[in-house]
Amino acid sequence: MHRLVHLIRRAVDALRRRPFVTAVAVGTIFVAVLLTGVFAAAFTGAQRLLSAWARDVPISVYLASGADLEQARTRAALVAPGARVEAVPPPEALRRLRASLGEEAGVLDGLGPEVLPASLEVRPSGLSLAETRDLAARLARVPGAAEVDYGAAWLERLETLLRRGRAVGLALIGLLAAATAVLVSNTLRLAVYARRDEIDIMKLVGATDAYVGAPFLVEGLLQGLAGAGLAVAVLAGAAVALLPWLRAAVPLAARLSRADLLPNGLLLALLGGGAALGLASSALSLGRFLRRA
Amino acid sequence: MIQLYHVYKQYGAEAPALSDVSLEVRKGEFVFLTGPSGAGKSTLLKLVFCAEPASAGQILVFGRNVSRIRSSGIPYLRRNIGVVFQDFKLLPDRTVAENVAFPLEVRGQHPREVRRRVESALRAVGLEHRTGKFPLSLSGGEQQRAAVARALVADPALLLADEPTGNLDLDRTVEVMALLEGANARGTTVVVATHDRGLLARHKKRIIALENGRVVSDGDSIRRAVS
Repeated sequence: MHRLVHLIRRAVDALRRRPFVTAVAVGTIFVAVLLTGVFAAAFTGAQRLLSAWARDVPISVYLASGADLEQARTRAALVAPGARVEAVPPPEALRRLRASLGEEAGVLDGLGPEVLPASLEVRPSGLSLAETRDLAARLARVPGAAEVDYGAAWLERLETLLRRGRAVGLALIGLLAAATAVLVSNTLRLAVYARRDEIDIMKLVGATDAYVGAPFLVEGLLQGLAGAGLAVAVLAGAAVALLPWLRAAVPLAARLSRADLLPNGLLLALLGGGAALGLASSALSLGRFLRRA
Repeated sequence: MIQLYHVYKQYGAEAPALSDVSLEVRKGEFVFLTGPSGAGKSTLLKLVFCAEPASAGQILVFGRNVSRIRSSGIPYLRRNIGVVFQDFKLLPDRTVAENVAFPLEVRGQHPREVRRRVESALRAVGLEHRTGKFPLSLSGGEQQRAAVARALVADPALLLADEPTGNLDLDRTVEVMALLEGANARGTTVVVATHDRGLLARHKKRIIALENGRVVSDGDSIRRAVS
């Protein structure tokens, strides 16, 4: 136990002796974790909005002419348990179309209800985009179904855009982490170099590489935790401050919470990532030095 | 304690720093290693405490062939060796007590035991009233006494001193040599590298003389010569 206390005391003592190097390392990790967090929050938020959108989109099943509307409704209700399934006969469809056209409804004058197919309007609740897609595929197999529409084109385009954005984002985060590791490692290497006399004397009196290196690793870990902790606090604070504005500006975001943008798992991952970054940077700089020593 | 068999050490294309050196230092001996600057005294000490490898030949320390010790095993060998340098090698931003505590801390000793032994070591070198001072606030003699305390605090079986009195006046030299002789009297084998002929004349010890990396005499002939 006293060895652990001694190790932590040595690490904290070293941090205290080099406030400038400590501040640079903590600051660099802070910026890297903050940028990663902003990116992750933006994507998590966009995905939540997309899901909310998908949840609100009704699925329309257009029937072939002559199909039995009531039989189709019964089968659709079986296929989509829990969803509200409404049969829309052609006259009702025409009325709704007129209503939606408003002042332009005159363009429909002279048309009879037979120009529109009978349809089913299915309103599932709380489905993700993927689940909506699966349900649409099952509804397409309902007897008499000719076409199923759930706004697939734009929803899927948006989803593809998000998927590509996530891939690019992950690559950018990887690059950012690597650049930060190199930057922090070089900063810490200066710190290791500044303590070369101490390291030489420690080795002279019989210190193992593990004894020499352990406090540097603890320092890296503490700097990573401090930088990432600061970034997580700023991110959480900013999310709480900006959410009312976002809710007012985007109706779909009305129910968005801090946990939707920055789930606790993500905050923990950012904290762990920052600590790992500090540890890796420290190990990198120490490895180079001990190999030379 | 120390055995060298046909040891060579060469740095690049320069003339060998050590050439065909064979010698033995037995347990409990006090030996002076002497010779002019560049004779190979410091190089020999570096090989003994594994700071550098020999280019050829065999070196046995405590009966172990150092060329066969893996790098991970070197720290454990060094824990039985205390080293004193001409330039003291004390850390200026640590107190005297913290500097002396280093060898005990790297062994993972309990802080209470570290405090007890540091106090005892500093008392032995007459620095018990300077424990909280920083090295640069001490005189040269006091700094070297602190370095000797650090070298002896863990009771090493072997003490290597490289020009330990090189930066000291005569009075301080006498003090430091008394400490080294005291350690030797308590059973520590002591090897002192020095080019100070006055030191050799004052202390009746075995003298190994080096010149151009070779052993040119081993015994007390030099003392007779300098006397």
